[in-house]
Amino acid sequence: MSDFLQYLVNGLTIGSFLALIALGYSMVYGVLRLINFAHGDVFMVGSFAGLGVLTALSMSGPWLAFAAFAAVFAGALVSGVLGVGIMRAAYAPLLRAPKISLLIAAIGVSLALEETVKLLTRAGFRSYPDVLPDAMLFSGAVRVSYSQVALIGLSALLMVGLWAFVTRTVRGTAMRALAMDPDAARLMGIDAERLTMITFFIGSVLAGAAGVMYGMYYTQINFAVGFLVGLRAFTAAVLGGVGNLVGAAVAGLLIGLVQSFAAGYLSSRWADVIIFGVLIAALMVRPHGLFGERIAERV
Amino acid sequence: MTSWSRRRLVCIGGLALSLVACSKKGGEDGGNIQIGVPVPLSGDSASAGQDILAAAKVAAGEINDRGGVKGRKLEIVPADDACSPQQAAQAAQKLVNSGVVAAAGGYCSGAAVAAGPIFGRANLPFILDASTNPVLTDQGQGKVFRTCGRDDRQGDFAAKFVVDTLHAKRVAVLHDNTTYAKGLAEAAVAALKKNGQAEVTYFDALTAGQSDYTPVLTNIAGTHPDVVYFTGYFAEAGLLLKQRKQLGLTFQLVGGDATTDVSALRTAGTAAEGFIATTAPLATTLPSAADFVKRFKSENTGTDPGPFSAYEYDAINVLAKAIERAGSTKGPELLKALHELPEYQGVTGPISFDEKGDRKTVNFVAVTVRDGKYISYAH
Repeated sequence: MSDFLQYLVNGLTIGSFLALIALGYSMVYGVLRLINFAHGDVFMVGSFAGLGVLTALSMSGPWLAFAAFAAVFAGALVSGVLGVGIMRAAYAPLLRAPKISLLIAAIGVSLALEETVKLLTRAGFRSYPDVLPDAMLFSGAVRVSYSQVALIGLSALLMVGLWAFVTRTVRGTAMRALAMDPDAARLMGIDAERLTMITFFIGSVLAGAAGVMYGMYYTQINFAVGFLVGLRAFTAAVLGGVGNLVGAAVAGLLIGLVQSFAAGYLSSRWADVIIFGVLIAALMVRPHGLFGERIAERV
Repeated sequence: MTSWSRRRLVCIGGLALSLVACSKKGGEDGGNIQIGVPVPLSGDSASAGQDILAAAKVAAGEINDRGGVKGRKLEIVPADDACSPQQAAQAAQKLVNSGVVAAAGGYCSGAAVAAGPIFGRANLPFILDASTNPVLTDQGQGKVFRTCGRDDRQGDFAAKFVVDTLHAKRVAVLHDNTTYAKGLAEAAVAALKKNGQAEVTYFDALTAGQSDYTPVLTNIAGTHPDVVYFTGYFAEAGLLLKQRKQLGLTFQLVGGDATTDVSALRTAGTAAEGFIATTAPLATTLPSAADFVKRFKSENTGTDPGPFSAYEYDAINVLAKAIERAGSTKGPELLKALHELPEYQGVTGPISFDEKGDRKTVNFVAVTVRDGKYISYAH
């Protein structure tokens, strides 16, 4: 039983990273009908940016918490700007081209980012400094550290913030309108181009924040981390019903749990087989994902 | 054929000729003697490869300062094998084509297994400084040598160490499915079973390159081991140490000789304290290697040599001795000279090779981490 709870806690930790990244895939799909394959690499670049800030600040003691927040902020900002830059440079010129061109552009951007960081880091790994405290909230049969709670809490906060933005603000409502019917939204005077930029910015900010949190938690990153994590987050986005934000968040947590339980009860070698098996099985029963787009509205 | 394509053909022909001309350099014609050093210069094991390459340069620099070998300077030719079999084969072919007289290097056994036959077909000796998988010399047809030990012997040592010194009754063995890690894990399990004093509670692999090993660790902890022997590489060792502490697990983590790179300690931070690894003696703990350590540090901005730097330094020196004795840089004569080499006093101890190419006397020791540094294990 204690093993089960431990797998649950660890699965939720992985899942909260995946959920944050899956949201970006889903948001962009909502407004552009594009699977943004470069999204995982935006996460990776954010993670490296956060590492850069932490190394530059090299603080200790009580300032560590400040440095950690500065790093999350900086990583999120770098990713956000990068996401908008990618949108303007690579996707905007192709918006009226066939969808397949857009998809190929996304794969191209992904490879370009990955190979650039690979060359800059000689494909080696980089270690994050020890920022998160080791203190434990529960240290009995099940171990939960304060940093795990903080990371899951920060992820949840960001997701609630996004949800509030999408449902409670004018811009968020416009974003939903654009996702539901782009042509009608334009006729109602919604600035589609500007809104697409905002969508890219928010999605990338979430990925960048997740990247820095991921780096702090696991303390080791490399150029390929965006591909590995991004693939799972993409799976979560599809499983949740791509375009559906609540679905992406829930499926992100679910994939994290599946990964944790599969590796724990079977073997980590089986984790990927089971994750993608679950995806295929779910899509056979519900082709539009667990929270399929026909039921819920897309954003 | 149009005149344009004919011109192109002439160009390509000319290019091919110039390549052939290049590849003649470094052979018998009295120029520099080129020694190939295939190591991972990219990928997760890159820091180990850079330490090995730096040691090769220190050795060649010293020999050249003394006037070279038979009046000819040694030249180190690095090649990146990226710790991958495919790239290792390409790197080895590139070195053979560029006219090296021998290769001395290697880190990952999986990469060395792919490179071995390519040097072998060209009749060039391949001296390994770090690749410990038994297959390498067993199937090396006498053309592969090593200044490091073999994993069957390391497995024996590890089994004896965890039972006799750490008094473990229950041992879990974890590898990562690479040639090296699997070989060492199997050797350790075989030795533990033969010894019969400790029970093997767990034997499985993790998937390298993932960040989260907490499920694996929780699973292992469920088998209640006293000691977990991890035979993979240092990138994962750092993560395992970190996450073992996060989970509050109390078993002793012991690593194989690929976990002793300092970058594992950077990932693990304070969680690395008390970590133990089985390895051939590290340069920093060998009195006979003190001069080498000093020279290495002065040429590498004060960084300590890596775990295999001293073995690479000895490999280059042994090769230089063999070239001197053979009076030639021809492959077959070099191979013969290496096999017949009288005992050479290296910084890692006496070196001579048996008929397979394995080093006759090499022992394994245990090291442990204290204050962020590896020191000899003493209890």
